[in-house]
Amino acid sequence: MSDWVRWAAPPAIVVSIAAPSHATQYLTVEQAERLAFPAATRFVESHVVFKPSDVAEIERRSGERVRTRGQQVWRAFANDQPIGFLIVDYVIGKHLVIDYAVALGPDGSVLRVEIMEYRESYGGEIASRGWLEQFVGKTSRDSLEVDRDIRNISGATLSSHHVTEGIKRVLAFYETCLR
Amino acid sequence: MRPASASARRARPLLGTFVEISADGASPAAVHRAIDAAFDAVTRIHRLMSVHDAGSDLSRLNRAERERATTLHPWTRAVLRAALELHTASGGLFDVTAGGAPAPGGGGPGFELLGRGRARRTRPGVTIDLGGIAKGFAVDRAVRVLRSHGAARGLVNAGGDLVAFGAPGTLVAIRDPRRPGRALARVVVENAALASSGGGAATIVDPWPAAPRPAILGATVTAPSCLLADALTKVVMIAGESAGPLLARYGAAALFLGASDQVHVTREWSRTVRRAS
Repeated sequence: MSDWVRWAAPPAIVVSIAAPSHATQYLTVEQAERLAFPAATRFVESHVVFKPSDVAEIERRSGERVRTRGQQVWRAFANDQPIGFLIVDYVIGKHLVIDYAVALGPDGSVLRVEIMEYRESYGGEIASRGWLEQFVGKTSRDSLEVDRDIRNISGATLSSHHVTEGIKRVLAFYETCLR
Repeated sequence: MRPASASARRARPLLGTFVEISADGASPAAVHRAIDAAFDAVTRIHRLMSVHDAGSDLSRLNRAERERATTLHPWTRAVLRAALELHTASGGLFDVTAGGAPAPGGGGPGFELLGRGRARRTRPGVTIDLGGIAKGFAVDRAVRVLRSHGAARGLVNAGGDLVAFGAPGTLVAIRDPRRPGRALARVVVENAALASSGGGAATIVDPWPAAPRPAILGATVTAPSCLLADALTKVVMIAGESAGPLLARYGAAALFLGASDQVHVTREWSRTVRRAS
């Protein structure tokens, strides 16, 4: 077959502007709240400040370092009945910051994980053939292991690794402080 | 159709990547309903076809004793059926199985579909991993859901395996596998699918490693469906230019980065693809 055309690829050392630094905003907190809990009539925002014993407990349960002094939580109510939590968290990798929201049911099960925003030094890089472990229905008693349960995202390993760690930490936070 | 007056763009961690879905619609509520439903479909496919979830269709199939039939969801069967067809059409190069004793004469695809919604593995020790095709299937399903909810324009992107529908199209950079974050080429995707392999993002196992093969660093395929685009990148990664007839048969086009830093593009597509400088 001769139906192929050949070009010289751009030299590997040339700096290109094809994929400039990248930031994408998907959802605000208010949008994430309404999407996760459409039946909610009220959201109560609180900032849970960690006691030293909380930090130790979250780290013990999740196996992850706690790098913040607290966690922002929105409690969802439908006519004064608690229907769940929206926990907004972020993870930082070497090249990116991801803000994400984890919606938990009243029993601590994951209802959904939505990316709110990500900013990275080069965009569109998060490509993988692996499978992220399914977060929906996970509780902190199920282990989430990047290498065992979750195939690393090749070429953008930091992304899946850090989000996975973050969700483990959020679930441990729930067990420690909200349950 | 009412004119689109709202649009939204969202992302969730699914299928081993961030699946991004954007769509337009008559109102913000309608758009989010459509995107929710599309994510529901992707989540369902993730659950059915994950090899890491012990309860998935695929894990049950892989765990069942060989030659024991496993009843599967119609979507899992649809993906397996497509994998069988592509296996045959590619002369065995597209292969969703791993492990297993090498069988005389290639040994066939390693599994078969049976009546009444069932399937079974046919070769000892073989396991099935749909990672090379299910992502494309998921993108196609999500697009169907968006359209059925009235979206006239949208994009579903599962880590670079994507479909853009409606006009105008979407400009997509094709990553240079040698230089993360830089483009090899750019192309407008409009009512078409695009998928890529390579660049450290994938390991494609050649079913006949003894055969002489071109060294290929990365491949991108555009096709009428994302399932086809996803699957055909794997064939191009192995076969290079000799995948030409197969691409033509499926109405697909491709480019790949070969050794000696040459980009090979199918002729017709080369008129559309913009070279990065």
